[in-house]
Amino acid sequence: MRPLVLPAAAILAIALAGCRGPQSALDPAGADASSLASLFWVMLAGAVVLWLLMNGLIFYAWRAKPRPISSKAARILIFGGGVVFPTFVLFFLLAYGLSMMPDQRAPGEGLRVEVTGEQWWFRVAYWPEGASEPIHSANEIVLPVGVRSEITLKADQVIHSFWLPSIAGKTDMFPGRVTRMSLLPTEPGEFRGQCAEFCGESHAWMAFTARTMTPDDFAAWVEAEAAPAAVPETDLQARGLDVFLSEGCGGCHAIRGTPARGRVGPDLTHLASRGNLAAGALKVTVPDLIAWISHPEAIKPGAKMPAFDHLPREDIAAMAAYLESLE
Amino acid sequence: MKIDLRSVFLTLAALAVLGVIGASAVVGFGLYNVSARAGHLPGVKWILHTTYQQAVTFRAPPESAAPELTDAMASLGAKHFDAACRVCHSAPGYARTATMLSMKPEPPHITAAVGDWSPSELHWIVYEGVKMSGMPHWPADRPDEVWSTVAFLTRVQEGLNRQQYDALTAAPKADPRGFAYCATCHEETGVSGNPDIPRLDILSEEYMTRALLAFRTGARDSGIMQHAATEVPVEDLPRFAAIFAAESPTGEAEPETSLTLRGRRIALEGAPGSDVPACASCHGPWPETINPAYPSLSGQYRPYLETQLRLWRAGERGGSEVAEIMHQAAARLSDAEIEAVSAWYSSRNPDELNRINDGEN
Repeated sequence: MRPLVLPAAAILAIALAGCRGPQSALDPAGADASSLASLFWVMLAGAVVLWLLMNGLIFYAWRAKPRPISSKAARILIFGGGVVFPTFVLFFLLAYGLSMMPDQRAPGEGLRVEVTGEQWWFRVAYWPEGASEPIHSANEIVLPVGVRSEITLKADQVIHSFWLPSIAGKTDMFPGRVTRMSLLPTEPGEFRGQCAEFCGESHAWMAFTARTMTPDDFAAWVEAEAAPAAVPETDLQARGLDVFLSEGCGGCHAIRGTPARGRVGPDLTHLASRGNLAAGALKVTVPDLIAWISHPEAIKPGAKMPAFDHLPREDIAAMAAYLESLE
Repeated sequence: MKIDLRSVFLTLAALAVLGVIGASAVVGFGLYNVSARAGHLPGVKWILHTTYQQAVTFRAPPESAAPELTDAMASLGAKHFDAACRVCHSAPGYARTATMLSMKPEPPHITAAVGDWSPSELHWIVYEGVKMSGMPHWPADRPDEVWSTVAFLTRVQEGLNRQQYDALTAAPKADPRGFAYCATCHEETGVSGNPDIPRLDILSEEYMTRALLAFRTGARDSGIMQHAATEVPVEDLPRFAAIFAAESPTGEAEPETSLTLRGRRIALEGAPGSDVPACASCHGPWPETINPAYPSLSGQYRPYLETQLRLWRAGERGGSEVAEIMHQAAARLSDAEIEAVSAWYSSRNPDELNRINDGEN
């Protein structure tokens, strides 16, 4: 036995390292995720106690040679241990679990974020308090710390599920129906969320990034996000914008401040500040942009965006340079 | 009498071997006489013709499949017939040539060939062809455009005469040599005046050249245009495209109706709820031509636009390498959206591409 202890401890340590990170319900950075984590730990502790108790009884019955007990004592043991005790335990665990639900469904306090599940990306619209028009974005959720924000959830064609485990539990998104949740981040940081309901070929490639920041930083971010896109600074970037417009990309994609106003695909106004491309499948780098524009389907099977590999390579590279500059 | 099964099997096997040797000799040594002069054995012609008639009757789609067969369709069908079918079937009011009469089987004169077949039976014959007779099938997987030829054939059944046929198929005197062939359908100006034949004066040289090459290779389906684009020498295709592109389109916008206003919204803003991008971001109206690979649509004929959009939506429309973009764009268009957006573009002024607000008063 003894020689196995060290390797076993090592494997356990490696496995437990997976409990941290930007997408872990066990490493909460939000009020709702914290209460879900404590629910998990309480349940786990209870399960450990019960497991030890049951195995203790089995061990007692098997190894220690027990004296026979009276039939009356046996009846009490069976009824007490088999009915009264589990009813009591389950009632209190259920009451404890249910007591958390009102917090999870608490209304937001100002900002409302509308998230729509598309195949296969997240359409995001920010409605800061009092706004008459939303700020359009995609595949990234930015939230202020210490404030409960309202999240409105919709879906385009099939059912998706919105899951940002570091901040809260998951909620399904349905076509033709609006669901809601609210998020209260407690720590600034960068996180990852994903679709948690199988929604088609590229379901596994449907993720988003999340950033939480202090309310002051968030106000500055909203201002920057609401602003029009950066103007091309180099000749290459300017050519990239020309190609983007002349190839009709603006039919599907909007870049505010340019004639591109499409709302079919993701808004690209501040693409480069989002930290992910193609709903988490790629990074916003020139090589990744070139790969995506040339062959979206090779990266995300079933992606609606047509391939533009018929364009000259220099044109694609120019577009990539322009898009990469859209901070 | 006792039957020896073994002898029976051996006899049958020997006969089978002899049969195979005999058949091989007929094929391999050229013993069968393929001479058309020698003709068929008695009875063979009857068997072939009866098989053909019964197969058409059995397989033709129901009568309800036939659309309304308009004069515009018949006019297009007549021009295609003149280019592709006349060589075997002659034409109303014209005799069959001695060469046609020497074919085996002998192709019937068109006035006899149309018989009393119904429109959907004629459609089946023209689309499928008849394999044992030399009658070709339609060169493209486009059952929809076969109805134009059927429309013409019904006019033949109704007694279309030689003068009427000549008027339908007359080629204008056009330069350069060979261009008259294109002008027969599209007119020298590219403005056919027939809503089933697209107007070309609004299109760019690059777009038309790409389209013609796509027809020629079969990347884009059309039995009519694939015939035309393979009839004309390949080096002439860009030259003829340039002639049409050099025309200056004229015309006036029509006033907006509730239908065109619905189409206008889709064209300029798209229908994001159904993932339809704004048509205008590729097809104009533009402030200036942004990409000659994309066709301008302002002033194009409405039936042509509707047909093409339905083909795009069904995923059946091919073209150059940019075709995939349009497949995605049209995939979720509804019938009502196709009608509205076609009506709007067809009502636009073909001349001034930049005047989006035409007719809006």
